[in-house]
Amino acid sequence: MDARLRRVNKEIADCKNDRTSNIRIELVDNSPFHLKGSFPGPEETPYEGGNFDVDIVIPPSYPFQPVKMKFITKVYHPNVSSASGAICLDILKDAWSPVLTLKSTMISLQSLLCSPEPNDPQDAEVAKHYMTSKTSFEDTARYWTEIYAGGPGSRAAKVASPGARDEVAIAGLDPQHVTRFENLGFPRNKVIDALRRLNYRGGNVSKITEDRVVEELLKP
Amino acid sequence: MKVTIKHWHAVAQWRWDTGKSEPNSDDSEGDVCGICRVPFEGCCPTCKMPGDDCPLIWGECTHIFHMHCLLKWLGTAASKQQCPMDRRTWGMPTKFSLVAVPC
Ligand SMILES: [Zn+2]
Ligand SMILES: [Zn+2]
Ligand SMILES: [Zn+2]
Repeated sequence: MDARLRRVNKEIADCKNDRTSNIRIELVDNSPFHLKGSFPGPEETPYEGGNFDVDIVIPPSYPFQPVKMKFITKVYHPNVSSASGAICLDILKDAWSPVLTLKSTMISLQSLLCSPEPNDPQDAEVAKHYMTSKTSFEDTARYWTEIYAGGPGSRAAKVASPGARDEVAIAGLDPQHVTRFENLGFPRNKVIDALRRLNYRGGNVSKITEDRVVEELLKP
Repeated sequence: MKVTIKHWHAVAQWRWDTGKSEPNSDDSEGDVCGICRVPFEGCCPTCKMPGDDCPLIWGECTHIFHMHCLLKWLGTAASKQQCPMDRRTWGMPTKFSLVAVPC
């Protein structure tokens, strides 16, 4: 049996037998080289109560090349792309070592959720939000956990259907700011996009003039 | 009664002397090569027979691997010539001694 297959099978079995770490790994199709991992959001973080799924691909030269991982569940975090789920984490890139395992790598992902590194962002807009106002960032991350990761408030009617989701909260904006520019005659979705791009939050609000916002809104 | 031994078979067990007292039966991390996850007493995935043809290698940092597994790692650009365990530059101790001892 080929070395990579033997090692991966052993790693999958190790995760199954380990009940202390909360890491689950399951097959996606018949190949052990394409897996789905999941773990609960760490306690005392905005991700608490959510369940996070990760797409795992074992490259041909594993374990000499890093495993490929990205979030399937949408996550609001400076080091995770809010659009694609791509992850910025050193051990998935040049700090990989063949002694790392699926389990230890998943545990590192879990701790990445506890300690964001906004100076090495994967999602620049989210990182700016984090650095401008941590409270507002955490509110948004918590809302994402509710609506995308089955977090604590997810059974509330307000998040039951995608249509009922609060686009302003998803973008991490203040509803009053959105209404203000909507009242100037701009469509709501354009206002949300522009304010998000400008990072119109916290201490930034006083620094960004209304003209600057309108200029952004008039961009094609 | 007189017993004459006509022939006899010696049976011996061996294991690598890795400086650790007893092999850990319960802990999978203890006596496996961190790279291929096969016990030291087994051979690396590219070899067929354990023993002298598939020796262990011991770094200055005291970390141990199958020699073939470690050389394969050091042969990749990604390794930066570092030990997979602690990322220190891999070096061989001046006194290199790994011997199979009967037990
Ligand atoms: Zn090995
Ligand atoms: Zn070998
Ligand atoms: Zn070492």
